[in-house]
Amino acid sequence: MSGRRGGNRIRGPQSALTDFLAANNISAAQIRDDYERRRLQAEADNAGNGEGPSNQAPEQDDDEALAVAAQAEEDDKKSKKRKRVEKDAVDKIKKSKASKKGKKGKKGDPEDDDDEYDDELRIYGKAKPMPGQLEHCDVCNKRFTVTPYNKEGPDGGLLCTPCGKELAKDMKKEQNAAKKSAGTGKKRRKVESDRLDGVANGGVKSLVQICIEKIAKHHEDIEELGELPQSVLERLGEIFSKNRVLKPKTLPLFLRPDLDSVIVHDAAYLEVEDYQQIFAVVPKMRKLVLGNACQMKDGAIDYMIEKCGNLQHLQLYAANLVSESGWQKVFREAGSKLQVISLKWLDAAFEDDVVRDMVKYCPNLERLKLKLCRRLGEDAVRYISDIPELKHISLWISNEVSNDALLSLVEKRGSGLQTLALEKFIDAEDSLLQAIHDNCTQLFKLRFSENDTVTNASYTALFTDWQNPPLTFVDFNATRHVDNNSSEGPEEAIGMASSGFKALMAHSGSALKHLDLASCRHIERSAFFDVFNGGQVYPALEYINLSFCNRADTGVVAGIFKSCPALKRLVAFGCFDVQDVVVPRNVALIGVPRAQDAIEQFGFGLGVDEAISKMVEAAA
Amino acid sequence: MASQTDYVTLISNDDFSFVVQRSAACISPAIRKMLDPQSMFMEAKTNTIRFDNFNALVLEKVCEYFYYNERNKDARDVPDPELPTELVLELLMAGDYLDC
Repeated sequence: MSGRRGGNRIRGPQSALTDFLAANNISAAQIRDDYERRRLQAEADNAGNGEGPSNQAPEQDDDEALAVAAQAEEDDKKSKKRKRVEKDAVDKIKKSKASKKGKKGKKGDPEDDDDEYDDELRIYGKAKPMPGQLEHCDVCNKRFTVTPYNKEGPDGGLLCTPCGKELAKDMKKEQNAAKKSAGTGKKRRKVESDRLDGVANGGVKSLVQICIEKIAKHHEDIEELGELPQSVLERLGEIFSKNRVLKPKTLPLFLRPDLDSVIVHDAAYLEVEDYQQIFAVVPKMRKLVLGNACQMKDGAIDYMIEKCGNLQHLQLYAANLVSESGWQKVFREAGSKLQVISLKWLDAAFEDDVVRDMVKYCPNLERLKLKLCRRLGEDAVRYISDIPELKHISLWISNEVSNDALLSLVEKRGSGLQTLALEKFIDAEDSLLQAIHDNCTQLFKLRFSENDTVTNASYTALFTDWQNPPLTFVDFNATRHVDNNSSEGPEEAIGMASSGFKALMAHSGSALKHLDLASCRHIERSAFFDVFNGGQVYPALEYINLSFCNRADTGVVAGIFKSCPALKRLVAFGCFDVQDVVVPRNVALIGVPRAQDAIEQFGFGLGVDEAISKMVEAAA
Repeated sequence: MASQTDYVTLISNDDFSFVVQRSAACISPAIRKMLDPQSMFMEAKTNTIRFDNFNALVLEKVCEYFYYNERNKDARDVPDPELPTELVLELLMAGDYLDC
């Protein structure tokens, strides 16, 4: 009809469908008009009907509607009841729509208009079946009765109740997954752990690092590593150890007859035969490192002495099944070539007498580290003082050692020492630092930590007019006085404090790489500002630990960024005045509190000057 | 003498050429040194490097890594690129050789 009606009007091209419909006397306009009329009629009816039941629980509604609809289906005639049900359902749809809109944003009227428009458009698409009608489910294709609560499927059609429930479940899962991946939780922890390990410094991991991690992940599938360079192999061994997958099965990957070192940082899973395998496969080794060597016994030691004649570097951690006689044998039979000995956490054996043997039979010893060997005491320190070639010494002895013993060590050996690390010698006194000042002239690394008797004046004196060249590694952590009755500490500061710190930086600042001042709580803010003033530059400084130096604040951190161009890591646990720091590129700031979402902060894309100007902006 | 081009050519030992941006290739310090005009190396003159120790499969992944690295230089929490497991060992050697 409409086609003919507009005979005089100019029309665009007609589709085949329109022609077909016209030929069969079907008019699109009429269909639309009819639909419009029905819709308006329904609306008017609803308005007259007033408010239907509104607060029913959805499932109840669902069931009711289903039941009613089923009944209606039986009835072919258009009973009054069915009409009522239909109206109810329409009513409900309207309500749910209205409530949705309310949630969306309360825009009000304009959206209503949109809705009308949508309604009009909808008739050209597939019309949504009214509640009570039958429809085929979009997913399972089953026939079901439409209710107001049917969900819309992915392709726009309706879903039956079971499929709808499935869909809702899936949606929830997806949402949860999205939350998890977006959430910082585990990922942040991993990033943090990487940062503390020094693996990543922002930006991208190196290709080597990515490959090593991947290999460690697939450790079970690897048969042979091939001719990997030794440095890479060692790195790989470290990762394997960290992941605790260095087991008898993976051990052979790291044993090659042409290697001159075997480095296994976690040997806890290795058994007697594995130790024998190590020494049998790599007899040329010069360097042996076994961490957690808890199953290493005298038998393995004997085999090592027998097979590996070139051993120069022996580093063992927790090798507690080796007996007193086993240790004596090592030093007596293999001692002449040993240059490096590093033993940690030996509880059961290893007494002062063994140290005497070691000194006697290892004349070439240059580097010695003894930490937490429980049976060692003052005598051991006295024996060590007689090692002629000693260049590097690290001691942490659990038993009491008098200041005199340490003094004699420094006086006898000080002139040749390059490394001096004394941890937790609580009886050490001012005279020890004086002795270091007087005797040591070649030190690169100095560690003197956990002491509460040496005064700040001694630290200042140590670094004033010291013949020693600038140090590269300094650790004075936890040198401070702790007394619960006077939280501020004594008037004359004990431990590394302001003037000591300034003297240290004046002496060693030019070469210093590693600076640990954790818990040196008497260093004043003004001292930090004097040292890290932005003008004075410390070109080599890469690592600073200021943890629990509670006078350090945001300004100090900014000064550090400015004064240390090579800085990689700044550790500041417990510095509560450090806030709102903007970290420049390539720097990792670790442990700053009050930034729960970024315990680990590291710079990305910002230079030092940009970062500082941002901080100033933020503070203003 | 050829001037500094924006792109350089990397050739694998089985004669596949990969043309990559100079900036990306220079992520490897080793390549950067080879291409440094001051070095007067053959590579710097021709802007072409021939790698006799990697095949095309490995070199392709290495080039992909260069671009991945360049793109994500300043980003944080970058996801690791997917590397084929069977190539990882060779890639490890390549990464070690190229110092990247």
